[in-house]
Amino acid sequence: MSAAPIRLNASPVPLHLRDVALRAGNAGRQLVSALSLSIEPGQRWALLGPNGAGKSTLLSAVAGLSTTAAGEIRLGERALSQWPARELARQRAWCPQFWLDPFPASGWETVACAVVATQPDLSAAQAELLARDWLKGFDVGALADNDVRTLSGGERQRVALATACAQGAPLLLLDEPTAHLDWAHQVLLQPLLSAWSAAGGTVFAAVHDLNMAWNFATHALLLDGQGGFVAGTREEVLQAAPLSHAYAVPVSVLEEGDARWFRVDLSARRD
Amino acid sequence: MILKPPPLAAALLLAGVCVPAALFIGLMAGSSGWGWPQGDILWLIRLPRVLSAFGTGAGLALAGALIQLVTRNPLADPYVLGVSSGASVGALLALMLLPAGLFLAPELGAVLGALAATSLAFLFTWRAMGKSGDGRIGNQPGTVVVLLVGVMIGAACGAAVSFMLAIANDQQLRSLVFWLLGDLNGASLWWPLWAAVGIALLLAWPRARELDWLTRGDAWAWTLGVPVAKRRRLAILAACIATGAAVATAGSIGFVGLVAPHIVRLVGLRHARALLPFSVVFGGVFLVLADTVARTLIAPAQLPVGVVSAAVGVPLFLFLLLRRSQAR
Repeated sequence: MSAAPIRLNASPVPLHLRDVALRAGNAGRQLVSALSLSIEPGQRWALLGPNGAGKSTLLSAVAGLSTTAAGEIRLGERALSQWPARELARQRAWCPQFWLDPFPASGWETVACAVVATQPDLSAAQAELLARDWLKGFDVGALADNDVRTLSGGERQRVALATACAQGAPLLLLDEPTAHLDWAHQVLLQPLLSAWSAAGGTVFAAVHDLNMAWNFATHALLLDGQGGFVAGTREEVLQAAPLSHAYAVPVSVLEEGDARWFRVDLSARRD
Repeated sequence: MILKPPPLAAALLLAGVCVPAALFIGLMAGSSGWGWPQGDILWLIRLPRVLSAFGTGAGLALAGALIQLVTRNPLADPYVLGVSSGASVGALLALMLLPAGLFLAPELGAVLGALAATSLAFLFTWRAMGKSGDGRIGNQPGTVVVLLVGVMIGAACGAAVSFMLAIANDQQLRSLVFWLLGDLNGASLWWPLWAAVGIALLLAWPRARELDWLTRGDAWAWTLGVPVAKRRRLAILAACIATGAAVATAGSIGFVGLVAPHIVRLVGLRHARALLPFSVVFGGVFLVLADTVARTLIAPAQLPVGVVSAAVGVPLFLFLLLRRSQAR
């Protein structure tokens, strides 16, 4: 997938989280407390944790969409809240789990929204070309002229990923990028994300599949759903003990040379 | 389903033919038959009425397109803001409280009523949307608030109208009902209406693309750098101006605001940058023709134009609805 038309329109900057606390809603339950970590350009982070652990909340806080209950998120030299929305749009792209498509729009038009919004220097024809190239990169080039409302879940998800990449912001925040994707397209995603970080970009993606996480990520952040977390390289985080604790099921790790495989021991339930 | 590129050139050409044609038909057709009207009839009656009809249809269609975008609801129309009900209350109050036959009394009452309802709707939505202080999304209420505020204002005005209908005498009742149905008879103040529609279009059109992005989700639009709350207020303000002026001129004419943007979308003009101006054109043409039918069908008597626009609009809308559910 070296054909992916990666075009970063801002220089990548590191992301720092210091003593961040997150709540569900304004006064809801505590999701995470005292979360501190640094994400450097060129790294690919997998965000792991059980349902309701705060993965989406953390991603939207990092996107600047919601505020943290405590602590600070810095992007480069500035606190996230100090970034004007327009500049932030050139620095990070956010790919949510759910999309609204109330009115007809073709695939390429949907992708082109992100291009036009963040790269006004491109002509309309260039924006369309870039949009179509990204759709090809995610193997939905043939559906570029179709109404997005008629696409299947997995096809719509690939249009969404193409949209996030086409925005050209170095920091990609992906909320369950492999949701609805079949195996072939999950496999397709991995070299794309590697190429992204090779170009200097950063990936921060919430995922449920541990094998997927091991294969695409260089680092991992594991939320345990009780306010605790483990952060570090994938080798440090993706181990049986922290995973079994966080997911409350016995996870076993099979090592095969450099590779690791993860499976849940369904016969035994941990209490 | 494959979407073809918007047929902009063809639409421009069609608009260039349809607008003069509709105006010509509107001017030529009269209660006494077909033909070029004499001086005073042309200048004092036919022309102001045709221009008012065009402006009313244009304003309602523009407002409809804007409200559909802002609420992400293809079935919304300008009246969800409660503006038309406000105007009705104003007009009915003027009809009932002021001496009969007072010059322009119901019209001015409608203007005031529309303004009051507009300000109320605007104030409430503005306040509800402005809460997240630094302009970020947070837990912003968004589309639901716009709809709820409109429904509440509409409900209050509906109760007021029912009350007035209950206590009105026979003669008042006749003019009340006529006003409620929507009617262009005697509508002559066309230029303030055209000015209002022009201002509304100028306000909204430069931000049309951002309104398109907003339909795909407030949070996502914000991550693209769109100041979500500001744009939403702008669109609602423009819709209030256009609706208020249209209702003050002609009463509550239904279905133009709902159907006109859909027809424009059906033709393939689906982006707000094309949707807004072509809704203006199509809404204007539609109402000029509907009004022409209304005043010639059973001449010398006149039908309220609301009857004609509903007679065309309801079947058309049901057809669209059917197509929509089949496309799923």
